[in-house]
Amino acid sequence: MELLASLELTDFSTWLRESDWGYPVVLCVHAVGMGMVVGITWMYCARVLGFAKEFPLWGFDRLFGLAWFGFAINAVSGVLLFIGEPRRLAVTPAFWIKMVLIVFAGLSLWALEKALHGEPDHGALAAGALGGAGGAIVADASAAVVVTRGAKVAAIASIVFWLAAITAGRIIGYTMPPPPL
Amino acid sequence: MTEAEVLQWIKDMPVGATVRQSRWLFGLGETFHFFGLCLMVGGLLIVDLRLLGYIRRIPMRAALAFLPWVIFGFLINLATGIEFFMTDPFMYWPNPAFKLKMFMVLMGGVNALVFTVMEHRHVLVMGNDERTSTFTKVTAGLSLGVWFCVILLGRLLPTFEGSTSFF
Repeated sequence: MELLASLELTDFSTWLRESDWGYPVVLCVHAVGMGMVVGITWMYCARVLGFAKEFPLWGFDRLFGLAWFGFAINAVSGVLLFIGEPRRLAVTPAFWIKMVLIVFAGLSLWALEKALHGEPDHGALAAGALGGAGGAIVADASAAVVVTRGAKVAAIASIVFWLAAITAGRIIGYTMPPPPL
Repeated sequence: MTEAEVLQWIKDMPVGATVRQSRWLFGLGETFHFFGLCLMVGGLLIVDLRLLGYIRRIPMRAALAFLPWVIFGFLINLATGIEFFMTDPFMYWPNPAFKLKMFMVLMGGVNALVFTVMEHRHVLVMGNDERTSTFTKVTAGLSLGVWFCVILLGRLLPTFEGSTSFF
């Protein structure tokens, strides 16, 4: 807590907290990053759960590049928001709950990837055999990715963890203790 | 009725009164406003980036299939946005960030309408390697730009609470 107090006394922390534009601008950036990360993840999960089946799963590869960019934006803006109010955030349970929920959201996305691509892709092999010399289907291997039950559970978990993380984030604003700690 | 009377009439409606008396209804609305934001951004990125040619190997029809999520997100945000306004109309109405945000939402709507009426049918039947027209790219770029501004202005609303101009 002393460390956080000294962080709070730095010029940068004071500026973030007290200037007209510091916090509002960082909050703006944080909202845009949220839309990119959660939005793309949700669309991907919807696809895994059977929405827009004609959209190939590999189509999300480049979109996840953007989602990671959004995640980087929010890691940085999140750290800045913490630097601005370290002591008040550290004693707000919703803040720590949000951090844990984001870890879980990430883990379920990792589990989803593993469920889809982790094992030898029997679907693609079968498609390759069917496609024979033409190989047109093999080139589009992920079209043959089998969406397992496990993958669907992981997709639902990811959706729910992000819903919960956003909710916890909102609750932070409502449950933070007042400034003079 | 004068402007103030209209705002007072809106404020006195049961919706606003209920939200003002509740400890958590406003916060719940904000949370759903964020859910809607994410749905809109996710769907719009897929649709607009495809129209811009960023993920050109994806069939156009498959990318446009994500449009219902955008509309669903918008409806959530329209409903929760109306809830916010009815809770405190005197704060929102003169707020410059609110005025500009509503203008931007309107622009986003007009832009979407132009796309729907003039282009949607044509791009649906496009082959994968066919390039979209410049006009289509402009509508897609405008869509991303306008909604990006809407997010920023929404987040800046509390900053301009009590002001009547940006400067």
